[in-house]
Amino acid sequence: MPRNGIAFNYRGTGRSARRLEQRVAAEREGTVARVPASTLDPRRDIPDVGTPPADDPPRPPGEDPDVDRWLAGRVVEGDVEAYEELLRRHRDRIYRIALRVLADPADADDVTQEIAIQLWTGLASFTGSAAFTTWLYRVVVNRCLNLRRRRRPTEEITESTQPATPGPEARVVAGQELEAGMAALAEMPEELRVALVLVQLEGLTYAQAATVLKVPEATVRGRLARARAQLVKQMRSWA
Amino acid sequence: MTERPGPSASAVDLLGTETALPCGRDPQQLLEQVTEHGPVAVDDHQRSCLHCQAALAEFDRLWAPMRAVAADRPQAPPGVLDSVLSSIRGVSEDPEFARLDEGYGHTRISGRVVAAIARHHAARVAGVRGALGRLDRAGHRRGDRDPEFPETSVHSAQPSDMARGPQASAGVAGASTAIAIVLAADYGVDLPALADEVRAAVVAGVRAYTGLEPVSVSVVVDEVLLPRPGEGEPAHSIGS
Repeated sequence: MPRNGIAFNYRGTGRSARRLEQRVAAEREGTVARVPASTLDPRRDIPDVGTPPADDPPRPPGEDPDVDRWLAGRVVEGDVEAYEELLRRHRDRIYRIALRVLADPADADDVTQEIAIQLWTGLASFTGSAAFTTWLYRVVVNRCLNLRRRRRPTEEITESTQPATPGPEARVVAGQELEAGMAALAEMPEELRVALVLVQLEGLTYAQAATVLKVPEATVRGRLARARAQLVKQMRSWA
Repeated sequence: MTERPGPSASAVDLLGTETALPCGRDPQQLLEQVTEHGPVAVDDHQRSCLHCQAALAEFDRLWAPMRAVAADRPQAPPGVLDSVLSSIRGVSEDPEFARLDEGYGHTRISGRVVAAIARHHAARVAGVRGALGRLDRAGHRRGDRDPEFPETSVHSAQPSDMARGPQASAGVAGASTAIAIVLAADYGVDLPALADEVRAAVVAGVRAYTGLEPVSVSVVVDEVLLPRPGEGEPAHSIGS
């Protein structure tokens, strides 16, 4: 529903999208500078047709914690351009983690949108004492787990939970390993899955993952070992 | 209680049972080795041990789907954040546009596009760690003149437009498209020289990509950051 001439057009559906609209509208009350709108998406931004030196490769975005900290400080002060840059640097990371933890593209869209708003409205909770990415990982993981718990309030997920359906044998046979891997990930208990996503897929160290999850490093190691073991057992059962 | 695997159990069966391979090696460690470094034997024992080699091969085969997941780098779908961004920015009823008059019509270029191009080129200058681009002044109504900044506009490089001056080509909805670059620089670089480089890069980039002529590029060095070890390449955030 248009609000002050703004048409919300969420890709995600359901309650979280409506909550987002309400939250953004509340945050906007008299506090947000109005600047011309444009797209943030760099894939629709500027074609990189320049001629940078061959030995001068671009640094992957989001890999400079000092710049993240600088940008975050400006965002807290209300700098919209800094917010856009911060989001540009990290949105794929946010989406990627959400997709792998939630195993649902629509839910991943919703969480990505929620995090985008939180980066604008709640960044003051980032104190700068840790790397921005550590803070961001924690926020994303917590959002994902909260969403899962809201969706399945009576489902107790334990490590002994068995897959409810047979695995996608055909996918393995057909060599569609990515789909098989995602399916196996989706059926893994969430605490094992989160450890696997952070360490195995995102490349965090055990210490970083322990900081994100607020558990001892040995716990992360244990969860990762169980996750790996469970995954290969599951893949064998599907083969 | 875990059932103890039989003597013919595969390495997968032994995982989680605290039972070693017949050669005495821990299958969990072999699995960790495969998931972190691949199925390559790391010592003389593994190179000569059939049990270890079989376990490494089996784990490697079963781990392949996870390697495929790790190699996949999905990006946030285009547009997924547009509504959020529009809400946070607000939607200008009167966006800034630069205008190029051509023989058969005119081309309008959003001020935000100009700012994005400026940021892009500023961020690629060595010594710049992060850059933000924006229009220096905004909010003019159509036809207004800014007495304080009579030349703070982006005007066409076309000779015919140049003859009419900035006011004539300042755009249909605003007359203020001068560019401001806010940046974080590496500590220790010559900041005035860096600002000059940034200014030159921005002017050249905007000129090349839009055909517009920036008449004012202000550079604000907002932060200096200690150089990161092993890094010297320019900051870059477009095309992620």
